[in-house]
Amino acid sequence: MIQDYLTLSVILFCIGILGVISRRNVFTVFMSIELMLNAANLAFIAFSRLHESMDGHVLAMMVMAVAAAECALGLAVVILLHKHKGNLDTNVFSLLKG
Amino acid sequence: MEHTANYIGLIPLFPLIGALVLGLMHMLTCTNEKPLSEKLYGTLACIGPVLSFFLALVVFFHLKGLPAPERFLTHDAFTWFAVGDLHVNMGFLADPLSSLMLLFVTFIGSLIHIYSVGYMSEDQNFGKFFAYLNLFLGSMLILVLGSGPVVMFVGWEGVGLCSYLLISFYSEDTDNVLAGNKAFIVNRIGDLGFVLGMSFLFWAIGSGGFDYLSLKENAHNLTPTIGIVVCLLLFVGACGKSAQIPLYVWLPDAMAGPTPVSALIHAATMVTAGVYMVARFSFIYAHVPFAGSIVAWVGILTALLAAIFGMFQRDIKKILAYSTVSQLGYMFAGVGIAAYSAGIFHVFTHAFFKALLFLGAGSVIYALHHEQDIWKMGGLKEKLPKTYGCMVIGALALAGVPPFSGFFSKDEILFSALASGHTGIWFIGVLVAGMTAYYTFRMIFVVFHGTPRDQESFDHAHEPPSVMTLPLIILAIGAAFTGVLNLPGIFGGSLAVSHWLAPSLTEHHPHVSAWLEFFGIVASVAAVAVGLTIAYKKFGKGADEPEYTGFAKFGFNKFYVDEIYNAILVQPYKAFGAVISRFIEPNVTDIHVKFSTWLYKKAGSAFKSFQVGYIRVYAIYMIIGLSLMSLFLSQSIN
Amino acid sequence: MIAEGLFTAFSVLAVLGALGLVLFRHPMQGAMSLVVTMISLAGLYALLSAKLIFVLQLIVYAGAIMSLILFIIMFLNIQNEDLPNEPKHFYYFLGGLILLLPVGSFLIKVVKCVPGVEATIVGNGFGGVKEVGLVLFQDWLLPFEIVSILLLVALVGSVVLAGSKRRLSK
Repeated sequence: MIQDYLTLSVILFCIGILGVISRRNVFTVFMSIELMLNAANLAFIAFSRLHESMDGHVLAMMVMAVAAAECALGLAVVILLHKHKGNLDTNVFSLLKG
Repeated sequence: MEHTANYIGLIPLFPLIGALVLGLMHMLTCTNEKPLSEKLYGTLACIGPVLSFFLALVVFFHLKGLPAPERFLTHDAFTWFAVGDLHVNMGFLADPLSSLMLLFVTFIGSLIHIYSVGYMSEDQNFGKFFAYLNLFLGSMLILVLGSGPVVMFVGWEGVGLCSYLLISFYSEDTDNVLAGNKAFIVNRIGDLGFVLGMSFLFWAIGSGGFDYLSLKENAHNLTPTIGIVVCLLLFVGACGKSAQIPLYVWLPDAMAGPTPVSALIHAATMVTAGVYMVARFSFIYAHVPFAGSIVAWVGILTALLAAIFGMFQRDIKKILAYSTVSQLGYMFAGVGIAAYSAGIFHVFTHAFFKALLFLGAGSVIYALHHEQDIWKMGGLKEKLPKTYGCMVIGALALAGVPPFSGFFSKDEILFSALASGHTGIWFIGVLVAGMTAYYTFRMIFVVFHGTPRDQESFDHAHEPPSVMTLPLIILAIGAAFTGVLNLPGIFGGSLAVSHWLAPSLTEHHPHVSAWLEFFGIVASVAAVAVGLTIAYKKFGKGADEPEYTGFAKFGFNKFYVDEIYNAILVQPYKAFGAVISRFIEPNVTDIHVKFSTWLYKKAGSAFKSFQVGYIRVYAIYMIIGLSLMSLFLSQSIN
Repeated sequence: MIAEGLFTAFSVLAVLGALGLVLFRHPMQGAMSLVVTMISLAGLYALLSAKLIFVLQLIVYAGAIMSLILFIIMFLNIQNEDLPNEPKHFYYFLGGLILLLPVGSFLIKVVKCVPGVEATIVGNGFGGVKEVGLVLFQDWLLPFEIVSILLLVALVGSVVLAGSKRRLSK
């Protein structure tokens, strides 16, 4: 059933959010975001199957391209972070503190 | 026919576009090393007024071709705003009254623009001057052409602004700036009256449409009490703009501006706006004679007071300024006793001869390198023959010597006063006519006759260029002959201007015997002759400045009115302000401000603690919002 | 029947992989769990008849992106003592779970409203390279071009960020 696929997508998405808010490791946060993108992709594909139109496939491809771009930039930032601060803790960044 | 109506909106538009273009040109180039040429500015500045003049002629002749009761052309350019019952269109109305005003405003405005090209030459703010002058003309035309009180008020404020800007034109001198401020503040007092009057009028009869034609139809619904209130409030506005007691004090000080400005704004056009306004609202004033008689008495007393001041001034422009105030008093006397056409006709002739006198004075000042004290002039007749000739014609017209224009218009007012039984007004009017003749020719004799009092500046004096003398000559012709346009029956005329204006005005011509009319003419001519003779006896052969003693000293100091105003109005007001700034402000008003800043500071530091700086905490905030939203939304889904 | 069995297997693997990503301490272990999730998602795409996306998921996601991430993790040579100390992360996890309950239940409620269709295999080349390509280059041409610009910008940006020596010396 398509609904099961969508439910799975929701579960994966929520796990991705959990990863973002509970972990301080930059890599884990980064990969949790990838997981959320994947969950969205699954929803696209499932709806595409539901309506038997291929626009969802195209959108999934767009998401993949965006994910690739994000990955390239994000990893560059991670390398910089590691070089500057010497560790991988997101709490090192607290410049927004009021 | 429809076509001509559409052109009406263009008449004020030309000078306004000119003002925009000139202003932008000046703004963009005033920091340049070499400013744009004066020829370019002058040409651009004169195009707008001249075009407007020709359009005004077209409108005039079109109206002339229509039968008298249908002489109304309206054009609504766009809807300005609509609030509840109040629908205000940016509408223009051309009827006999506004077309007459239109003709002389554009005609004299064009001449003064041309004259200014000569007078203002080599001024570093040449472009700015013409931008203001064009803006003034555009505002004045909006005032004249407005189809209702609100549109008129736009022009009314516009001319007030330009008056302020041009009085303070030589802003390097603090006195000029203060004079500008004075004019602006006194005008504000009057404007408050105008706005209140307008609001009352709308409240009373405005629901049927707030333009003159609908108001005229509904005027009979006005109760006498409201009518008096409206009339008096509007008259307060007119007092401010047209320099009547008690708000006349700004006009003499306004002479600080360049002389063409004094001629155009503070003699010929803007200051007559009050008279025009009263005539416009003649359909209300005609219903409340009581308000009218107040207007008339204020006017004639202003005429008397200003004439007294005028007899003792030594600054050539201030003499003319007081004579303007005095003549405005006559006009108000005219419109006050319901002789609207006589008042408007005096506005018309006065525009010619007073503009002429001011421009002549400007030529004298120009020739003497900005010397304005008449007691340092003398004998200029030989050096400035053209100016002298024109000034004499202007003076004869101002003094009311037949057959010059001023005689007919002034006499029409005095005769109406006599005919309608206002003997007191008539008597003072005749007295003022004599005084007018005296001070006018005092000025002429002292400036042009006798021997030079300041030999050095006399030697350097020379006739100004023809761009300045030509407008003088044209105006002199106008000043001499415009009187015949409204020749009364006793001289074989037919009161053409009065008949022309009749469809716009609500007035009744009383029928009286020719003997009474003859008596009035003889009386005023006699008064003028007496004034002239005294002036000639005292100053005709050249005299030195007399000592001012007794009443003369009192008059020379203008009855200390400025000082009295300062003592009883300005100083208490300042003291009041000081009390407020010292006690009320820190203890009452500032407390609110301080409290709210304190509150914001506290709130800020409270919210600051949420801003921990960790990205995932912000993500948690986001998720909290998301989950609250979800809780709310899931109620709507089963 | 086989399809349902496959779905169950893949979805269990995907959820387990995702949980592993969130719960493992070392990023290398997390990355390996994510690879498991990616591959099982590829299987799910195949079950949904998305042939091209199935291939792309394997090649681009599980292949290129994940190997890039693994490469960077190994490149940085992360030791256990380099990792941030996360004493309270379990409480965060529980709190997040509570916060996400309404969101999740709402989304699942929404999903229940979707008409139930059996996810059988669709024929006539649905999801094939040619068909998706036609849609992509006819209806989605402008987004496609914009995405290409985005990729170019990301390329330049990462070179500037990671490659600039001057920035590092500051």
